[in-house]
Parts: sequence; C-alpha cells; structure tokens
Amino acid sequence: MSDYSDLDRQIEQLKRCEIIKENEVKALCAKAREILVEEGNVQRVDSPVTVCGDIHGQFYDLKELFKVGGDVPEKNYLFMGDFVDRGYYSVETFLLLLALKVRYPDRITLIRGNHESRQITQVYGFYDECLRKYGSTAVWRYCTEIFDYFSLSAIIDGKIFCVHGGLSPVPSQYLDQIRSIDPQAGGARTTGPCAICFGAIPKDQTGWGVSPRGAGYLFGSDVVSQFNRTNDIDMICRAHQLVMEGFKWHFNETVLTVWSAPNYCYRCGNVAAILELNEYLHRDFVIFEAAPQESRGIPSKKPQADYFL
Amino acid sequence: MAASDKSVDDSLYPIAVLIDELKNEDVQLRLNSIKKLSTIALALGEERTRSELIPFLTETIYDEDEVLLALADQLGNFTSLVGGPEFAMYLIPPLESLATVEETVVRDKAVESLRTVAAEHSAQDLEIHVVPTLQRLVSGDWFTSRTSACGLFSVCYPRVTQPVKAELRANFRKLCQDETPMVRRAAANKLGEFAKVVETEYLKSDLIPNFVQLAQDDQDSVRLLAVEACVSIAQLLPQDDVEHLVLPTLRQCASDSSWRVRYMVAEKFVDLQKAVGPEITRVDLVPAFQYLLKDAEAEVRAAVATKVKDFCANLDKVNQVQIILSSILPYVRDLVSDPNPHVKSALASVIMGLSPMLGAYQTVEQLLPLFLIQLKDECPEVRLNIISNLDCVNDVIGIQQLSQSLLPAIVELAEDSKWRVRLAIIEYMPALAGQLGQEFFDQKLRGLCMGWLNDHVYAIREAATLNMKKLVEQFGAPWAEQAIIPMILVMSRNKNYLHRMTCLFCLNVLAEVCGTDITTKLLLPTVLLLAADPVANVRFNVAKTLQKISPFLEASVIDAQVKPTLDKLNTDTDVDVKHFAAQAIAGIAAA
Repeated sequence: MSDYSDLDRQIEQLKRCEIIKENEVKALCAKAREILVEEGNVQRVDSPVTVCGDIHGQFYDLKELFKVGGDVPEKNYLFMGDFVDRGYYSVETFLLLLALKVRYPDRITLIRGNHESRQITQVYGFYDECLRKYGSTAVWRYCTEIFDYFSLSAIIDGKIFCVHGGLSPVPSQYLDQIRSIDPQAGGARTTGPCAICFGAIPKDQTGWGVSPRGAGYLFGSDVVSQFNRTNDIDMICRAHQLVMEGFKWHFNETVLTVWSAPNYCYRCGNVAAILELNEYLHRDFVIFEAAPQESRGIPSKKPQADYFL
Repeated sequence: MAASDKSVDDSLYPIAVLIDELKNEDVQLRLNSIKKLSTIALALGEERTRSELIPFLTETIYDEDEVLLALADQLGNFTSLVGGPEFAMYLIPPLESLATVEETVVRDKAVESLRTVAAEHSAQDLEIHVVPTLQRLVSGDWFTSRTSACGLFSVCYPRVTQPVKAELRANFRKLCQDETPMVRRAAANKLGEFAKVVETEYLKSDLIPNFVQLAQDDQDSVRLLAVEACVSIAQLLPQDDVEHLVLPTLRQCASDSSWRVRYMVAEKFVDLQKAVGPEITRVDLVPAFQYLLKDAEAEVRAAVATKVKDFCANLDKVNQVQIILSSILPYVRDLVSDPNPHVKSALASVIMGLSPMLGAYQTVEQLLPLFLIQLKDECPEVRLNIISNLDCVNDVIGIQQLSQSLLPAIVELAEDSKWRVRLAIIEYMPALAGQLGQEFFDQKLRGLCMGWLNDHVYAIREAATLNMKKLVEQFGAPWAEQAIIPMILVMSRNKNYLHRMTCLFCLNVLAEVCGTDITTKLLLPTVLLLAADPVANVRFNVAKTLQKISPFLEASVIDAQVKPTLDKLNTDTDVDVKHFAAQAIAGIAAA
C-alpha cells in the first residue's frame, strides 16, 4: 500500500480552495505525467461513469457538481476539457482535478479541451491567475506541459465516443487515426489533428464547414452517422458550447452536448448538467445550478499589486 | 571607527545587508527589509534609530505604495524602539508625510499608526508635537492631508488644554465645511468618535450644527455617513435633546431622496432604536420603520426587512405585542408578497422570530397564514429560510399544531425541484419524527424518507442515509429491523449501481445504531454479497463498509466471514479495490 498522505492532504487543501505550494505543483505534474503518458489519445473508459463538460475555473460550481454527483472515488468521472480560463479559480480547479487524477487514476479521466493550450490560457485568464497567485510563471509552465499529455478523446465501453469539440475531417474517419496523433508535435491546432478538441461544432446541414468562431470545423449529421457506423459506436458526447439547459441533443440523439459550468462566466444564467451512465450505459442527466452565494469564497476585490509581476 | 567596534560591526553584518536592501532597486527586497524594520532598529539601538534610521526612512517616503504601506504599519509599533514614550515624537514626522500621500490605503494605515503613537505621548508632548501636525494636516493644500487630519481629533482632544480644545473644534468645523467631498466624507466618518470625547455643551453648540449640515450635504455619500454618526450622537444625549436636536435630521434621512442614505438608515435602525430609547421609538421610529418597509427601492426594503425581528424584540415590553400587531404586521404582510425575491427572502429569514414575542395564539392566528404563503413561494430561498427556522415556531405552538397546519406544505417541499430545499426538509425530519411519534411518522413521513434514498442528487442521498441513522436513534433497533432494513436490503439487488452504493452507505451507518445482533444477522450478509459486485466502486465500498462495521461484529464472525472476503478483495484487479481492502485489513488488525 503506497503512502498517499501527502497527496490526500493536498486534495483536502485544494478542496478548501487553497492553493498548494509551487514545488508541490511541480511534483504533482511529474506524477501526473507518468500516469498520462500511459493513456492513449482515445482513452478506454469503463462504465459506470459520469461525464462532465466545461468547468472554466468555476471552482465553487465544481464543488457543487461533486455535491450533486458524488465525490471521487465513490463515483467515476470523465471531464471533457476546458478546466481553466474565464472563472476566478482556474488554478485551484485544475490542480484539484489533476490531484484527483494522480490519486485515483482509474476513477477519473481528464481529456483535453481547446483552453488546455499555451496560447489560449495567455489570453483568457489562466496565465494571469498563475502569475498572480504564485508570483511567477513556473506553475503555468508545469500545467501547460501537462496539457500536452492529456488524451484527446475517450471511449466508454467501446460505445460512446467522448471529445471536447467534436469531429474534424483529418483524423476522424477512424478512431485508429486519432490514436496515432502526437499532440506534442504541435502544428496547426485548429486545422490539424488536434481539431477534434480545438473547436469542432455540430452544424445543421450535412458535410463539413468552417467554424464561425474562427477556429475548427463544423460537422454535419452525415459525417456523424458515417463516423458512428465505421467505428461501431452509439453516440458522440462533447462539450465546448454553452447550452442553457445544461445538455442538448443533436442529429437524432447521435451527438450530445454536455455543459457543466452553471451561470457561465458568473452571468449567463444557464443551468449545468452532468451525464450519469450506469453499468448498462443507461443515461441519467443531473441538472444543477451555481453554488449559492454563501458557500462561495469572496474573490478578493483588489487584485494583488502589480509590483510582483 | 575604533578597533573595538570592529567585532560589533561584524556581528551587525546581516543588519547591514538589510539596510542595504532598504535602498535596493528591487521593490520586493525593499519590502522584505521594511518588514524586518524592527530587527534593524533593535540592532542599531535606540539612539541610532532616532538619529539615523528614522531620518533615512523619512526620506524614502517617495517609494512604491506597497513599501510605504509596510512602513506606515511598522512605525505604529516603533515607540519602544526609539526609546519609549518620551521619544515617541521622533515617529511623528515620517508618519505625517505618509499621511499625505496619494494612495488611500497607505494614508489610512499612517493615520492608524499616528493614532497609536499619539496616544503614547504625554499630554505635554501631545500638545507640542502632535497638535501642530494635526493643524498642518488640516491646513494642507491637498485634500489627502485634510482627509487624514479627521482621524486625529478624537485621540488628541481629551488630553489637551481648553484653548487648544477650542482650536480643535474650530478646525473640525472647517473640515466639515471643506470644499472637497472626500474631506467632508472623512469628517462625517469620524464625527461619531469625535462626538464621544467632546463635552456635552460643546457637542450641542459645535458638533450638532456640523452634523446637521453634513446630513444635508449635496453628496449622498456624505449624508449616509452622517447617519452613522447619528447613532453615536443619539447615544450621548438625554432623551429631550435627542428629540429636538437629532430626530428632525433622522426623519429627513429616512426620507432622503437617495436610496443609499435610506438604506443606511435601515441598516442602522436597531442601533438607532437602542440609542433613543422606548418612548421615542414608539412615537417616532415606528412610523419611520413603516415608511422604510414601504420604500420604493427593493434594497431598502430588504435591508429593513432583516431588521423586523430585532426591531420588534427591542420594543418596550409593555406594548410590544400591541405595536407588532397594529403597526408592524400589516406592513410585513405586504412584504410577504413583495415583487422582489431578495426582499421576500430577507423577511423569511427573520419572520419566524416574531413567534415567541407574539405567543401561541397570535402565532396561529396571524403568523401561520403568512408562513404557509411563504412555504409556497416561487423563490426557493424564501421556502428554505422558512423551513430552516421552523424550530422557533415549534417551541411556541408545539409540533402537533405546527405539523397539522404545515405538514401538507412540508410534504410538498419534500419533492421540491431545488435540492437544497429538499435537504433542509430532510434535516428537519429527525426533530419532526421525534415530536410526532412513530405511528404518525410511519403513516405520513416514512415513505418520503425512503424515497430520498433514491434521489438523483448525491447530497440528498447522503443526507437521507444519515437521516436513517437518526431515525433509528429515535425509534430504536426493533423498529429499524421491521420498518426500514428490509427495504434497504432490497436496494442491494437493484440493477443500478448507485442504489447498491446507497444501500452500502446505509448499512455503514446503521450498524452503529442497530447493535451486534442485527448487524451480524441482517446487514453483514448483504455487505458480503456485494463483494462480488461487477462494479469496482461497489466492491471498494464493501471494503470500506466492512472496516466501518467491524467494531459491531464478534471476533469469530470477523475471522470467519469478514477477513476471507477482504483477502479476496485484496487480490482484486482494480487498484482502488485492492487499496481499500488493504486499508480495511490493516484497520481491523489494529483495532
């Protein structure tokens, strides 16, 4: 029995929304790398599992998610990316999920979203937050290095394909092609192989299109049915887009969007959802709202002085 | 320097580094050094601190705000380091400069330190060193220094001679009439504490006019601070004076054109009430309170709604009930159906508190109908606030009465779409069960309690599990055996693993209250059966449960049944099952 006391303490600390030390982050990321390097680009996941969409640094809403869904390890979770940016607590949110991954590798799966990237985190808050909370960019560097090791997708019981964005023309014909992507190779992330996590959106017509959000593809119903038939899967589960009801079906229930950031950006007024799949892949959605005000910490109104930057 | 000093200076090397760092280009290093200023001063000794360190610091006043803030903070505790109270005046010049800088945080800290240091001066030194500083600040060109001056009056005034006192009052009046709103704001802010140290006759002749003037200021930010001062002033004056000196202004504030001022009156209402006493409350404050309860601005109504209980509680006991019934309740009734959810929620958080004041009869007659409306309110916070405060009504009218009138509403809430409302109901269940008795509970509420075990929200299932334990504590193990355990055991065969997990969680907590016999005969077999569950999460919870219930099992049973199962789980293919099995084996061995 290995000693988890340090890790358990860090998890407890992060659950209180307190950051862990910079050297602890470094060690955590090193351990996470050992685990993640063993996972494929299409990570195999067994049911039962609860599938979650974007979190975006909304730490107290993530805690709410665990309240309505149950804690790790009692429940198994699959998070479909976009853990960071936009919310006030990207650091705590990401480190908590990562610590849980290291502590219970078989109980939680994290796949990559478009915000798990060096470029995007520099624009949408994670970079600044790391700098503000740690006074240097070291933590941001450790975290973004780990991003490269995250699986791009997962497949539950061989039947439900989970990915942050959706399908893209290059690798999506066959799951085997996705398996062979090397995300660390870099390159054009929005058009190249990584496009499945970097912005694909389902569209009303058939065929392919270019996303109006400026990055990634639109994929139509015919693309989905062909993909599902070729790979013998029942449905595609993805996140990436805000849906006010928390989840939304497309293309005759072959594609599902799950969104897990309630009151997105603290102002959208949407509810969030998680998809609970039991051991027979029976689907049950749990809808939840943002954590009530009194259970949230008050974000410090005054950001720390710029002298540290 | 003499040779004998050499060794001393060597030992001072770390200090020299700190002093060097005070001048370093890197802000962070300067900051660190400032934070260790007391160490430096201690090493330098009192004499050199006064003659070298303090003048040096006085020059660094043009540093970054962060450094200045630390400096202002440090200097407040520096008196002993410059040689005690008789040398405290050395600290005044740097603090005076800090009190004039642009950054508010630094200034406030400097004023705070100045107040501390000023209090340490002898009366004579105070007049020689601090009062001139105060007067320089008062006549400063820039509003920052005049703002800082406001904070020094209350520390200086009580300890100076009569002529100086007169000057200070004149100075303060000048600040109250300052052309800059920031200064008037600071004056209004400090008016209350200054009023406390000024003699009553001058309070009436000098400060009250200032107060009246500030309460009529153009800026609402000044007026609302005057409301705060109002409380302090009212506390200082006898009833008669309050009535004709303070009340007219207070009335005017309660109907101020700015909602922020009215909001402040609402916030301070109970303090005001305590300050003015029962008679004025009855005649003047009750109408003002009614006025605020009907305010056009929801923020004001919400603020005053939260004061309903405390205001009523502080009413004169002789006519308390009568005032509540005739003057307050009619307005409260309107607020129950206020269009704004925050107002309704604020009211719901305190309204139950009226029950003990009104007694059983009036609670049933007057309050219960309101509670029923609130329990059905569309806003979940309102429902939640009522449910969470049921106990104070319970004490007054008894559970029988309460449940008869409220039970239908409670049952409805048990299925509320908001899980926090359901949670509040569950938490109320053991109390309700204890008061209603087992028979009534079995009839009306047991079904609900079982239903929550299958709720789709985890937190509810968890609470429902704990609830089971509390119910067994109420009704005893035989009841558990006959009324709930059979139904819980059925869940172990449910096709959905979540129900099997909940079953385990229940067994987990029930063992403790059901005793060895039931645990061995009824609970353990089911736990062991689940050890072969196809879902890993269930299997490792079997391991956890076995560890948890082992204290309630005979050693022979543990050896014959528990250990073999755990040994088997310890060879499971799943890492977590193995981990928790190993933990359980170790835990049981250690027990």
